[in-house]
Amino acid sequence: MLTAGVLWLLSGLFTPLPADVRQGLIVAVALLAALRDVGKLSLRLPQNARQIPQDVLRRHLARGALQFGFELGTGVRTYVSASAPYAMAVAVLLSGGSYAPALAAGLGFGAGRALTPALRRLSGDGERWDDLLARRLTGMTVLCSALIATAACSTLR
Amino acid sequence: MGRSGRPVARPSGARAVRTLLTDPVLPVAALAIAAIAAALYAPMLTWAITGGLAGYSLSGSV
Repeated sequence: MLTAGVLWLLSGLFTPLPADVRQGLIVAVALLAALRDVGKLSLRLPQNARQIPQDVLRRHLARGALQFGFELGTGVRTYVSASAPYAMAVAVLLSGGSYAPALAAGLGFGAGRALTPALRRLSGDGERWDDLLARRLTGMTVLCSALIATAACSTLR
Repeated sequence: MGRSGRPVARPSGARAVRTLLTDPVLPVAALAIAAIAAALYAPMLTWAITGGLAGYSLSGSV
């Protein structure tokens, strides 16, 4: 939500661009993201690729959980293993100035991020779930970027 | 085959259903169908669903 809010503030800078141009750019970036996830495109994207240390949670549980959530959710200190969030960030940035797309995308992103630990826990066998995820992750990330491109084709009209 | 070379035991009964319902691919499939439906009928919902896809794509991230 925080990242989406910042992107929404910046989105005003791009409103002079015609809607068709913005839509084309969103689709193009999402397709590039899919190509990057397939491994056909080598492109370094900005990220602070470090793991949040476990002692963040040991020092103070509530404050640590907040810090952990902030750093993981905003991506200021985490490994960003897929390109779809970058495509989504560009989509919000070029969404046209209304706060509603940023709010919806931010809420959806948070829910999507929470799905992983929730499903892993519900599976009853975390290690088996991790194995399944590792085998399917590449296909999943490519599909996510491709779906963002597909959705962008119809949303900004 | 498991890491030790033995075949991995397939879950059965209720456990199999649980495994199926918590498959890591299931949210992507559900969100894909929802994204297509939303793109046709509810553009604002499409933003939330694609946001969900972007968030879930980070499943391998720590």
